[in-house]
Amino acid sequence: MIVIDRLCYNSGLRYVNAMEKFVFSMLTLLLCVSSRSIIAAILVLLVTGTLTVEKGGIPLLCYLKLITIPLVFLFLSISAVLINISRTPLDAFAIPFGSFYLTGSVQGLLWGVQLISTALASVSCLYFLSLSTPVADILGVLKKLHVPGLITELMLLIYRYIFITLRTASAILISQSSRLGNKSLHTARKSFVAMASSVFVLSVRQAGAQYDAMEARCYNGRIQILSEEHPAKYSEIFCIAGFEVFLFVLIVILKYKSSI
Amino acid sequence: MTRKQKKLVAGISICSLMAGIYPAANAMHIMEGYLPVTFCIAWGVLCLPFLTAGFIKIRRTLAETPRTMTLLAMSGAFIFVISSLKIPSVTGSCSHMTGTGFGAILFGPCVVSVLGIIILVFQAVLLAHGGLTTLGANTFSMAVAGPFVTYGIYKLCQKCKINHGICVFLAASLGDLFTYCVTSVQLALAYPSETGGSAASTVKFLGIFAPTQIPLAIIEGLLTTAIIVCLESFAKSELNLIGYKKEA
Repeated sequence: MIVIDRLCYNSGLRYVNAMEKFVFSMLTLLLCVSSRSIIAAILVLLVTGTLTVEKGGIPLLCYLKLITIPLVFLFLSISAVLINISRTPLDAFAIPFGSFYLTGSVQGLLWGVQLISTALASVSCLYFLSLSTPVADILGVLKKLHVPGLITELMLLIYRYIFITLRTASAILISQSSRLGNKSLHTARKSFVAMASSVFVLSVRQAGAQYDAMEARCYNGRIQILSEEHPAKYSEIFCIAGFEVFLFVLIVILKYKSSI
Repeated sequence: MTRKQKKLVAGISICSLMAGIYPAANAMHIMEGYLPVTFCIAWGVLCLPFLTAGFIKIRRTLAETPRTMTLLAMSGAFIFVISSLKIPSVTGSCSHMTGTGFGAILFGPCVVSVLGIIILVFQAVLLAHGGLTTLGANTFSMAVAGPFVTYGIYKLCQKCKINHGICVFLAASLGDLFTYCVTSVQLALAYPSETGGSAASTVKFLGIFAPTQIPLAIIEGLLTTAIIVCLESFAKSELNLIGYKKEA
């Protein structure tokens, strides 16, 4: 049902220590976003991309398809950054439009390229995490980082219930479609409303039943899960630290060069 | 053609072009890596008071009635699912509800802010909508600003004794519009225009997202109204369970 979730359970990197993967993707993400350097972004995109596809065994086509999800937002908002409406033309391009110009500057174009590369690299970092680490493992990491128990508990339950609710909803959607419920826009809206309300009622009832079932099994506000331990290997830690230091030095050198 | 007519034709063709290039308009999640670090932190910090209030409220409710735990989680999952399903709108485009306005009317804005941030984390990790660095900004626009406006308008309309359906419609659609305005301002503050500063780029971002977001807000308002009216007529006991009371 949720493609990313299914893929990450089959990933080759699934049994690598979760904390390692979390730290790697977060550090890279931070370096990438804070530096905004194009070269670093390309490097990050290549490294996380290869790791996810080669080591993780995610099909390349799937990966590319996933990368395109946020692109619509990217191109729309980039166009707002690039294109200015003004009375005076700027240096890169200017399209006259009445007494105004749709115009952009070279500096702006450079920003745009920088923004696109940083955003894509960051998305690849996010995908590295979400395509290799199941949510249950991420929750384990959050617990180790001392996120309040109530929040992780709520997250665990919500994660489980998302699938229950999604199954109910998709069953209703299929039966609606098979009865021509989406024949026209009018009926489609009616069906959507009916689906949403019945899913709501069903999920409230289910929540009650779930609580009863959990309480019968001594639920006291905390679901204790034995997490599988996959100790971090020294070689992996060494590689990650090496990569981060290299990235950091590269960024510092690039900044220093451009400031001269 | 006169000059004016030419301008008119150009204007209309740009509008239709814009309507044409929106194959998939997700709810306005700012994508991963889009905002500079300072803005990510600033928006995150701004959310903290609301999240703390929500957290304390949830903990108090849970201490009184532990049963609400599964109910809260189920509602969070419900909002996630509703916002991840395609809603029927103009053929060809696929759009999603934000769902948080709906949650705010049913559960109150504080609780929705905590549920909202969890939902946004899952949307980032499971659906790649939004991101982890932009979590603060997205939480502020979708889980704090939107729901609070929705709730405020909802209560205000109830005080003014406006028809209940209209009241829900106004609350949900204006809350949705406000979310979109806040997101545009967030983007504009981070990327001020070269010719007119932040104000000019706010207008640009508003303009670029308007063709999808305004119809979407109206559709969201209509759907939310229909769902709530539907629930009130056949799910009274369930609504009472979550503490929703129709004060009319």
